[in-house]
Amino acid sequence: MQPRSLSTRLLASVSVLLILFFGITIVALDFVFRDLAERSVRDRLDVQLLALISASEEDSSGGLQPAAELAETRFSNPGSGMYGEIVRADGYPSWRSPSLAGTGLDLSPQLKPGERRFGELHSADGAVVLVLSRGIDWEFSNRKRRSFVYSVAENQEPYYAQLHRFRVQLFSWFGALMILLLGSLAILLRRLLAPLRRVEREIEAVEAGQLTELGGGYPRELLGITTNLNTLLRSERDRLARYRNTLGNLAHSFKTPLAVMRNLLTGTHDLPIARQLDEQVGRMDDIVKYQLKRAAASGGTGLGTAPVDVRDALESLRGALLKVYVDRRIICDLEVEPGCMYFGDREDLTEMAGNMLDNAFKWARSRVRLTASRLSTSGARRDGLHLIVEDDGPGIPVAERARVLDRGARLDERVSGQGIGLSVVRELAQLNGGSVTLDESPLGGARIEIRLPPV
Amino acid sequence: MRLLVVEDETALRESLVGQLKEAGFNVDAAADGEEGLYCGREYALDLAIVDLGLPKLPGLELIRKLRAESKSFPILILTARDKWQEKVEGLQAGADDYVAKPFHFEELLARVQALLRRSGGWAQPILRCGPVALDPRTQEVTVHDKRVELTSFEYRILEYLIHRAGEVISKAELTERLYAQDFDRDSNTIEVFIGRLRRKLDPDDTLKPIETLRGRGYRFALQRDSGG
Repeated sequence: MQPRSLSTRLLASVSVLLILFFGITIVALDFVFRDLAERSVRDRLDVQLLALISASEEDSSGGLQPAAELAETRFSNPGSGMYGEIVRADGYPSWRSPSLAGTGLDLSPQLKPGERRFGELHSADGAVVLVLSRGIDWEFSNRKRRSFVYSVAENQEPYYAQLHRFRVQLFSWFGALMILLLGSLAILLRRLLAPLRRVEREIEAVEAGQLTELGGGYPRELLGITTNLNTLLRSERDRLARYRNTLGNLAHSFKTPLAVMRNLLTGTHDLPIARQLDEQVGRMDDIVKYQLKRAAASGGTGLGTAPVDVRDALESLRGALLKVYVDRRIICDLEVEPGCMYFGDREDLTEMAGNMLDNAFKWARSRVRLTASRLSTSGARRDGLHLIVEDDGPGIPVAERARVLDRGARLDERVSGQGIGLSVVRELAQLNGGSVTLDESPLGGARIEIRLPPV
Repeated sequence: MRLLVVEDETALRESLVGQLKEAGFNVDAAADGEEGLYCGREYALDLAIVDLGLPKLPGLELIRKLRAESKSFPILILTARDKWQEKVEGLQAGADDYVAKPFHFEELLARVQALLRRSGGWAQPILRCGPVALDPRTQEVTVHDKRVELTSFEYRILEYLIHRAGEVISKAELTERLYAQDFDRDSNTIEVFIGRLRRKLDPDDTLKPIETLRGRGYRFALQRDSGG
């Protein structure tokens, strides 16, 4: 699975944190609000209960009744949501507020004098009703004492409605706040991550060969990365150049003595020892040539170097070979797909194509055809290269093909006098992640094909 | 034919010069790029052999400079690195062919002769003018398919004249191209050799292959057979 982007990660974590934070806040606020509301209901009921007790008068039947001028008018309005009840200890309901009519509520539990109880009941229509009851001992004027239970109750529906409104507001405010916060965070992230996106863009440009290194003006935190990356790109280029130069000097200082040795042997071919020496010189030459060419291959990604214009590179080679083989009057066709680029090392490409073309010119009777096209692979950002060189010469027999490509690697076994050009091609193609195929051309001769996939 | 060898490795340069002289060329040698440039500017050369890895002035630069000064003699490059990029650059800079070190002298000689032949406008390996044929590879001369024995110097004069058949070549040019610098440059010797050549090629005085243009020089008068 692909790791998620930095901004997605950050936004996701911040969202989780915000939801957690707001969730806890909402729960806490809700709790506090409910607690406060319940307490205030209790206090109210307490006040009502005391008022009811203090307004009580004896009635003729040995019960208690609130005085007619009882301040709380809600007791008398049915459906007011405020209820009251006075019940004698023997269960005789001494007084029930008119508002209780039709509610089916029986407010008073059995209580001993001095006992208090706070409870919840459901009225006939399902509404929640909070009840406060208290048992008292009443001494009548005839000195008789009787126990009563006083109850007051209040319908909680208005409170629930309020709670609902409160919650709706709470959620909408917090929701809006969260959207605002996440939105500003996203904008902030965009701005913060802009340099990172620039790095990404510039690396892509380096890959595409439009840039040789990353630009300047990065923030301090990224400067380390970009500077190091540039140093890496530069040192890679310099290293290859230095390395190739050293190899070139090595070749020069090694081959010149070989050339001297060969020259000293000129005209002595009648002597068997001279022939053997000459053969050994040839072997040494081939070993050095093959190994140095292998070593000098970049085999790299060509990062930080401009892509090679394939037409231009092949056109130069074609011109050079036509000049060298001018006596052979060979016709060399060059077909390059428009816009064909090689994202790799120019020297590697020239070396491979040069050896292939040279081989073709060497064997052709009159025609050589060089075809280059893009090799696109699904999922790859850049194109690879597909090169075909054909000639109308004798071709390479099937049995010989593997050996021709293998010659350089098995120099010790080889017979002197055969070229190592095609094995160099194979080696370089493989170092660049590609492959070589030998076949027969419709022209009649050999067909050499290399496929260099994108790196 | 006058050749220049520009090669910094003394042993190789000396053996090359010796072998080329033996093959009948008039050879100058230079040990570095600057000396090579001087020789290329000052001498009337027919061909230069230039090593690419030269001190002071790299071979590629030397070739570019000579070509920029309209020196049109063929140039053969010697390369030790044997990289295609280098060969292509060399050929684009104005060289005409390359030989990779270590080479067989026979191969180098064949390339030199092919370049000389082409620079004289000859397409075929054997130079034919009417009944006269000259093969630079074997240094054999025939008239009506009969072999003519020539001394080394007679051959060199004839080769030069046939190479540039149809052109007028002054005695001074012949002297410069065929004699080494320290040679006694008496132009009368040229006349003597021309006289001998005429007798050997045309004993009956019917072909008249070599014309004398008074005060201007000589011309090989027979029509080229092909590639002319």
